[in-house]
Amino acid sequence: MFRPSPDSWSGLALAALGVYIVLQTRGWEYLSQEGPGPAFFPRWYGLAIVVLGAALAVAGAKSASVNWRGAGRALGTWAVLAGSIAVMKFAGFALGFAVLTYFLVAWMYRRPPLQAALVAGGMVAVFYLIFPLALGVSFP
Amino acid sequence: MDIASGLLHGFAVALQPANVLWCFVGVLLGTIVGIMPGLGPPATIAMLLPLTAQMSPAGAMIMLAGIYYGAKYGGSTTSILLNVPGESASVVTCIDGYQLARKGRAGAALGIAAIASFIAGTFGVVALMLVAPPLARLALAFSSPEYFGLMALGLAMVVLLAGRSLVKALLAMLVGLWIAGIGTDPFGTTSRFTFGRMELLSGIDFVVVAIGVFALGEVLANMEAREEPQALPVPKGLRNLLPTVQDLRDCRFAFVNGSVIGFLIGVLPGAGSTIASFISYGVEKAISRRREAFGTGVIEGVAAPEGANNSETGGALVPLLTLGIPGSGTTAILLAALVLWGFKPGPLFIAENPQLFWGLVASMYIGNVLLLILNLPLVPLFAQVLRAPAYVLYPAIIGLSMVGVYSVSGSVFDLGLLAAFGLLGYVMRKLDYPSAPLILGLVLGGAMERALRQSLMMSEGSLTILVSRPLAAAMLSCALLILLVPLFSRLNAWRLQAMEEEE
Amino acid sequence: MRIVTTAVTAALLFAAPAHAYKPTRTVEVVVHTGPGGGSDLLARAVATMMEKEKLLPVRMQVVNKTGGGGAVAAAYLAEKVGEQHTIGFFTGVWLTGPLTSAEAKVTLRDLTPIARLVLEPALIAVKADAPYQTLADFIAAAKQQPGQLKQSGGSVTSRDNVVRQLLQKATGTRWAFISFPGGGERIAALLGGHVNMMVIEPAEAGEHIRAGNMRVLAQVSDQRLPGFPNVPTLKEAGFDVPAVPQVRGVVAPPGIPADNVAYWDDVFRRLTTSASWRKFLADNQFEDGYQDAAELANFYDEFTTRMRGILQEAGIKTVR
Repeated sequence: MFRPSPDSWSGLALAALGVYIVLQTRGWEYLSQEGPGPAFFPRWYGLAIVVLGAALAVAGAKSASVNWRGAGRALGTWAVLAGSIAVMKFAGFALGFAVLTYFLVAWMYRRPPLQAALVAGGMVAVFYLIFPLALGVSFP
Repeated sequence: MDIASGLLHGFAVALQPANVLWCFVGVLLGTIVGIMPGLGPPATIAMLLPLTAQMSPAGAMIMLAGIYYGAKYGGSTTSILLNVPGESASVVTCIDGYQLARKGRAGAALGIAAIASFIAGTFGVVALMLVAPPLARLALAFSSPEYFGLMALGLAMVVLLAGRSLVKALLAMLVGLWIAGIGTDPFGTTSRFTFGRMELLSGIDFVVVAIGVFALGEVLANMEAREEPQALPVPKGLRNLLPTVQDLRDCRFAFVNGSVIGFLIGVLPGAGSTIASFISYGVEKAISRRREAFGTGVIEGVAAPEGANNSETGGALVPLLTLGIPGSGTTAILLAALVLWGFKPGPLFIAENPQLFWGLVASMYIGNVLLLILNLPLVPLFAQVLRAPAYVLYPAIIGLSMVGVYSVSGSVFDLGLLAAFGLLGYVMRKLDYPSAPLILGLVLGGAMERALRQSLMMSEGSLTILVSRPLAAAMLSCALLILLVPLFSRLNAWRLQAMEEEE
Repeated sequence: MRIVTTAVTAALLFAAPAHAYKPTRTVEVVVHTGPGGGSDLLARAVATMMEKEKLLPVRMQVVNKTGGGGAVAAAYLAEKVGEQHTIGFFTGVWLTGPLTSAEAKVTLRDLTPIARLVLEPALIAVKADAPYQTLADFIAAAKQQPGQLKQSGGSVTSRDNVVRQLLQKATGTRWAFISFPGGGERIAALLGGHVNMMVIEPAEAGEHIRAGNMRVLAQVSDQRLPGFPNVPTLKEAGFDVPAVPQVRGVVAPPGIPADNVAYWDDVFRRLTTSASWRKFLADNQFEDGYQDAAELANFYDEFTTRMRGILQEAGIKTVR
């Protein structure tokens, strides 16, 4: 039974990206009197992406499958990260980062909530000390 | 003023107590700035400019230059320990440096970085002193077709960074080229791939991509394991806290390689230290006897790029001091500083201001020595950072990355981009796509496109301009040779296999 | 009784200070270049001069908001409606950007104009060993080899190219334009012999001329600059094209109260009459292009209309 391997999927995805790039270049000038235009370079590498992506999709049909076991935890972490950035946009760095750290420590590493909260608070304090105070780097 | 008397004069200036103090302040600040990801010398120097109005020009120049090359020393620290590039040029150091840290040899890596930086930095100063004016004229002969050749050579390095699958490496590189193209067309007004978002008009900052793909990707990948008592093995015993004699011996060629390549590329206005470190790494890998091991923690893989990005500072000062042409962001601010103090950098600068020039050169010698003394003892101290438990270390890395990115652009949008690239880095790791070619494409993409279009503008559309000029042709031929290397080795392998089967 | 009340009220009103606004914390100065860029340097120089002449009771802090040829900085200012402690330094690209780029939505009309500060003239320069002694020589050579001669410059909408378009149209010639994003690279291209001519600012060219590497053919300005008394202006050289200046000035966010505007107006007026300013202009060979807020608003309208015409004639697509 034909089961597409991860390499085939990524190859196809990249080929699709390549197609998108080439299509976008249709709106721009390729070669003008003054010289090559904005479409020149992207069209070529877009084409290269399509070709190589397709080649990968075909040749990689037999490649080993990826071990997705831990992916849930990793993606979960990423979701928290993205969420904390959204929090930062509205509530500032301290809160966002504290939320992130708390989640990581409590959930990922299964430490008791109190320890997580302490670590979160501690890290925020340290960051604030080093960056805005000592070095003058500003925070969101 | 000939060299010997000039140098003596220069040391007389540089060794004045006030100037030694400024030198120390400069290199210390530079090291700190280099360690912090995102915060770079241009911004720091700009911040200090108003203060320098109170200082003597010599002292101020010595301090600012100290920040410039000091930052190159510090940049390797976070690259090696945390896989977070402290400076754009330190990206290449992450490749083998971090792997060395994972093997418990963080101390050796950090130490070698400091030593390579010292050797190359000193080489850069010596070369600046000896060959600055004639080299400047050579730099002028370099224009768009030659730059294109250089970029092609740099991209050909992808072959050496490929690892198992060349196709995946090429794809990663092409995606890097694409990301480099996001934003306003450099020559005109068309905006490309900006999806209508104003924040993307000037493209995506390299720092965001590098930190996202390298550091965050790594952190996310590490999140997969359930419990990890300690993130990275702490170097045990003195043997692993500093480089061994064997290490130094292994790096003999890397020291030379880094110094020469870094300086030469630094001389070219516009070519940066990132390109220098990539090419130096590629050359080292090509020459090395254990080239397959590169990427898994080979000490020369740290020495070469670190050396290159330090001697590049010496090289970048050549066009600045001999022609008044800044070659990079940092040298542009140094130029501005000189103008602010009333100097006029140009072809007559060295002749008319010998004390400043020679004082600066002498102070760079002193600065390099100070940096070595500063950095080497700190190595075991930094290595202890790895002792921190994972649940403190990883949030710290994430926090550091975010602060670093925000300090560059001040926009939360960039933080969002950082997260996106972190995810990309993770996915690439899972699907076995090498990330170094992506960075390579990103760094070189913009410059390559500009060089190509400028060349074609110069030649009115004819591609022959790229091969008719000697320097450009030479570099393109090298690039082609490098690209053909894997083909040769594969042909050879088939040939041997065929011979075996016949028997 | 009522007369007394009115009289007292009137007296109190007249006695009130003319400027109710005074800055109480650090003033943020937004520029669109990175550290070391043209606007950044001007802002820092102005900050230094303000301190020296004691024109402001507080410090000025330069904030770099790079991107989009000024679009990011302009948008940043436009968002800070009513913010009284922020100003920005604009240049020509803030005015031409919205004409050609759809994403650059903020025009000077969306912000509060404060003052126009300087006009930067330019020089037309060639390498010292080039066979052209006057601009007419160059144009004649260009006529003989259409499209073969090359000029290095900034982007297609930059002043360098506008001058080129105007000259090409007035003389019926054609030569190539090669964009180099960095000023250093443009000069390197000229000195290395890769291009034939460039439009360069006097401050940048000074040293190279003194060293004998460059020769100036003409000046892009209305009157001869003090530093170049022997070089003809475009009009004097016989070319009837307007001398397109590079303009720099000050804007503030929209929606600020009238006394705030009056305060900034006054501060910059006093700056431009100070001795440090005169020295600054002389050192950098800028032209004093001071205009106050009202004049600036008029200038903006006139400049954008003129630019639109020039760009369209040059075949560059305009979106506004």
